Amino acid sequence: MPSASRLRRLDTIVGPFADLLLTADLPQLPDARRAEVVEFVQRRANGVPSFTRFGLTVIALLYRGVMAAPGGRLVARFLASKSIPLLGEYPRLIRSLGYAYVWDRWPDTLPTGAAS
Amino acid sequence: MNSTAATAQMHAEVLVIGSGAGGATTAAVLAQAGFDVLIVEEGEWIEQGSVVPFSLQQMDFQYRAGGVTVALGLPSIAYTEGRCAGGGTEINSGLYRRPPEDLLQRWATDFCINDLRPEEVMSIANEVEQVISVSLVPGPPSAPSDVLRRGAERLGWQNSEIPRWMKYASGDASSGQRQSMTRTYLPQAASHGARLVTGCRIDQLQMADGKATRATTTLGDGRHGTIDFRHVFVCGGAIQSPALLQRSRIAGYIGRSLAVHPTVKLTARFADELNVPGDVPVHQVKEFAPDLSFGGSASQPGLVALALSDQWRTFSRAITDWRRMSIYYAAITSEGRGRVRAVRGLRDPIVTYALTRRDRALLGSGLSRLALLMLEAGADEVYPSFRGAPVVRNRRDLATMQSTFSAAKASVMTVHLCSTVPMGEDTRRCGANSFGRVHDTTNVWVNDASLLPTAPGVNPQGTVMALAIRNARRFAATERPRG
Repeated sequence: MPSASRLRRLDTIVGPFADLLLTADLPQLPDARRAEVVEFVQRRANGVPSFTRFGLTVIALLYRGVMAAPGGRLVARFLASKSIPLLGEYPRLIRSLGYAYVWDRWPDTLPTGAAS
Repeated sequence: MNSTAATAQMHAEVLVIGSGAGGATTAAVLAQAGFDVLIVEEGEWIEQGSVVPFSLQQMDFQYRAGGVTVALGLPSIAYTEGRCAGGGTEINSGLYRRPPEDLLQRWATDFCINDLRPEEVMSIANEVEQVISVSLVPGPPSAPSDVLRRGAERLGWQNSEIPRWMKYASGDASSGQRQSMTRTYLPQAASHGARLVTGCRIDQLQMADGKATRATTTLGDGRHGTIDFRHVFVCGGAIQSPALLQRSRIAGYIGRSLAVHPTVKLTARFADELNVPGDVPVHQVKEFAPDLSFGGSASQPGLVALALSDQWRTFSRAITDWRRMSIYYAAITSEGRGRVRAVRGLRDPIVTYALTRRDRALLGSGLSRLALLMLEAGADEVYPSFRGAPVVRNRRDLATMQSTFSAAKASVMTVHLCSTVPMGEDTRRCGANSFGRVHDTTNVWVNDASLLPTAPGVNPQGTVMALAIRNARRFAATERPRG
């Protein structure tokens, strides 16, 4: 079983990136909803099987490194908009989990994230 | 049937690991034959109706890893496994197909399977169909299902309604109650004395001279324990069964030939509302079977958003119309193969799958034909699930879609996993003998989808149940209960 500290660590890596992507993709998603979606994405990321989790952690760390640099958030958003082999699977996973949660939980959400 | 909590030390004459289509049927046969049976399930007992079907909530409670499981490759293939009492039968579409007789004969010949007699398997299938109430939907099909029928008939393509394991209390489709393992074979096993414990993972089988005598376990609270037994049936499904055998250092042809039915999807939008969030279409199009078949998927709004997410920039505006949309798939019989590898220090196995060139081409032609069928059925717009996909409104768009598709850009997924411990006497390509006993062991049996020598090209759980009952009966005929 992954230790609690490892789980917390993946939370801190995945959470800010999910928040960044959702803010960019669904700009009118209310803050409270976005926080709930980010929490869901973190929970699912923590539950993925061992080897996938390892790969996820490595790529997530790369993105975190990019985000920490000056202007890095813009660069991370740019990278996340491109279909880069392997690296692109991470934003793809975060997006698919996030969108699935938004419309599962609030089916009448508009494409901007606004509540209808 | 009530499940009980696992304890640190347990004993059984026959330990059955897993409670899905293979484990539940095995337990029912053996308990009825007088064996002291203990069924151990890693997930929990979730009462039907307590979670919304095909929702993220259901994935949280009844799927392994919340449904986020993937066979690595180019492209990777997302797959799902049930992790609850009843296994995959609690979460799948419940569509039932008999094992194809010609396929059984081919398996018997190609994999040297002794006494695999199609007439015996069909006779067992008859019994299974009674127990799980295999039936057609009373009254007209749902609107998403009728789309498949309508489109296929306009094209002159063969299609039919697939029966399901459902009981319908009243005369309409919405009254269906799934006759999964928690409603059928698990209670049957319990009525003959079998015990079910949930929330208990089997970590390893302790082996000595080809014989397993003890399983080491991890309970839900993290404590470790053991189970002593005389015989063990491993029925954890095509991923977990080979992984457990590998963790137990059982050698042989284990985990080397994972077979799946890869699928690609699209979402179709119609003029009228048709989405049925809690159900799936029951029609399938078999014009190009066994290579290719078309059917409908669960279409909860969250799943519609997921299906559109590969091309969100251009598809996102459609999401507000989810009530007029439904998701469909094209499934192929793949020539590719995958592997399941347990790695020391990792809790979960590494799963890989490689599509062949022919598989990739077939996925592309399948998606094109499915999109054509949707247009013929009256779809206003079709949204294929791959990066860079165009919106398809007419045949000209279809040509554009064909030219831009590549399997590497698609969201490929599967729900049918099998063949990781193929049955047969040819030890170069089979992990278990003609009745599921793992080669070079004396008391370790596999009895689930892992045994199917190849992907059957149809919904496999009918085949899994029939073969599991056949094998369990053979076991009961050759081994005596201790009494």
